[in-house]
Amino acid sequence: MINLAYKDIQHTLSKFVITAMGVGMLLGIVLIMIGVYRGMVEDAKVLLNDVNADIWVVQQYTLGPFAESSRLYQDLQDSIKVIEGVDKAAALTFQGMQLFDKQQNAVRVYTVGYDPLGDFQIIPETALIEGRVLRESHYEMVVTDKTGFALGEKIQVGRDIFTVVGITKGTVSSGGDPIVYVSLKDAQVMQFSYSNPRIRNDRARGLESKDSQLVNVVVATLKPGYSANQVSPQIERWKHLTVYSQADQIQILSKNVIERSSKQIGLFTLILVLVSSIIIGLIIYTMTLEKIKEISIMKLIGIPNFLITKMIIQETILLGLIAFVFGNLFAQLIHTNFPKRVLLELPDSFILLAVIIVTSFLSSLIGVYKVLKADPAQAIGG
Amino acid sequence: MADISIKVENLVKTFGEGESRVEVIKGASFEVNKGELVALIAPSGAGKSTLLMMIGCVLQPTSGKIWLGEELVYDKTWQTKDARKIRREKLGFIFQAHYLIPFLNVLENVALLPLTSTEDEKAVRERSKEILRFLGLGDKFDAKPSELSGGQNQRVAIARALANQPEIILADEPTAALDIERAHSVVKMLKEVTQTQGVAIIMVTHDERLLGYCDKILKIVAGKVETTHSVESEIV
Repeated sequence: MINLAYKDIQHTLSKFVITAMGVGMLLGIVLIMIGVYRGMVEDAKVLLNDVNADIWVVQQYTLGPFAESSRLYQDLQDSIKVIEGVDKAAALTFQGMQLFDKQQNAVRVYTVGYDPLGDFQIIPETALIEGRVLRESHYEMVVTDKTGFALGEKIQVGRDIFTVVGITKGTVSSGGDPIVYVSLKDAQVMQFSYSNPRIRNDRARGLESKDSQLVNVVVATLKPGYSANQVSPQIERWKHLTVYSQADQIQILSKNVIERSSKQIGLFTLILVLVSSIIIGLIIYTMTLEKIKEISIMKLIGIPNFLITKMIIQETILLGLIAFVFGNLFAQLIHTNFPKRVLLELPDSFILLAVIIVTSFLSSLIGVYKVLKADPAQAIGG
Repeated sequence: MADISIKVENLVKTFGEGESRVEVIKGASFEVNKGELVALIAPSGAGKSTLLMMIGCVLQPTSGKIWLGEELVYDKTWQTKDARKIRREKLGFIFQAHYLIPFLNVLENVALLPLTSTEDEKAVRERSKEILRFLGLGDKFDAKPSELSGGQNQRVAIARALANQPEIILADEPTAALDIERAHSVVKMLKEVTQTQGVAIIMVTHDERLLGYCDKILKIVAGKVETTHSVESEIV
């Protein structure tokens, strides 16, 4: 039997392929949006996983350090280190800031301060692609490749000049900003030191400006056999602090920090899928209308409905499948050009494929409806 | 009844309701025998296509009866649920324009309908080729309609109408788009088909020069059909 869909597509191949490419680009954008969402969720966990602590000690009654501001004295790390069950402890600072490259373009970064000579090495070796980790207590900086800074480059921050000694890949904050690592001492100056005019003003007000040794969080790992549930009550009760486990921090990030953004992107993606479905439906409707004369002729000469509807359904599903392939190619080609991470995952593609097949089938019903309603009398013009 | 291909009895067709009601066909009765080439003539708007569509089971009459061969297909209502099956099995259509399927080649256009009702694809293709050869298109099997002239396309349309071995062919101004030379050639072919295959053909035409080929003329006058056997009397 003659396959009408195959013959029709063969007859208008370029038009069919261009249409499929157009729909494919739309599907590619859907995939990118899903990738943005996945990237956001994944980015949120990068720093937490890199630090890889068992407990996060923050200012009492705060959700710090990512969801709320948290300030602690640095020496708390020593008090925590001696609590039963704690293995290693380290004080860390986190701060969003703006650097400037050679062309004086602003580069938004997230600065992590840690003691390069301390217990925790929070720069993962696997992420280091050039240079080395921090070794000195001052004026060294390790940057993420997305900042655009080169190895050995000098970067001015306030009154100090830092040298880039290492470059990492894929290290980002929960907000997706590239991370720069500096020593804890430098980070404290950046975050907590006041300028000279501010100190003079405070003195005039009778206040004493303290250059406190503050940090945002103290992280700790536990000895084997101890859990966060066992150690946390001691710290919370006697040190008047709040303690979160690694799982709690992930929960805070996913619920408190990125939930609204992810919902926004999720809703946008849903709308895009809906719009894509409507567009596919309209294309099928138009494609059917273009053939309505031929369909009327076929009905008039006695071609059974199932043969004509089979042609419409086959063309629609094929259009959806080709568009899906183009969509994936398109998304793979462009996703690396986005400033923040776009994570394309195979299961998402398969889910989209299922959605496209169902959508295409439902869209083809519009075409089928037109076929069933087509008046064979149209063929001879009344 | 054995030699009658089409019998129409007191056929009426009205359009609209109330004041806008128009009675186009007002009780048409006529017969067409097997192997006859019959012309259907009338001024524009007199109901030629309407009559043809009712016989072709496309348009439902308001009242009357229609027989195709020995089968009563309409008597107050369609006598079958599947009018398309009757079209598929008994009728062939030729139109003013060729209306071939543009994405199928000549052979596929001709073979499409018979292929829907047989398993023997090879036999259908052979028969379709035979018809195309008979109509002088033996070297055009693979050509698309867009690659053929108007006359060639009309011959393919005739081949398509013949492919399913119909008892009746309804031709709605099949020569309207052709020059007089090609028009004569097409009607000659239709005449040959009636003589060699015993098919009854009703051909709507405005061209009096083609009436000489016809065995009988059906003329719609004031909504009724007058049958004339003398072709000369219709030529002015």
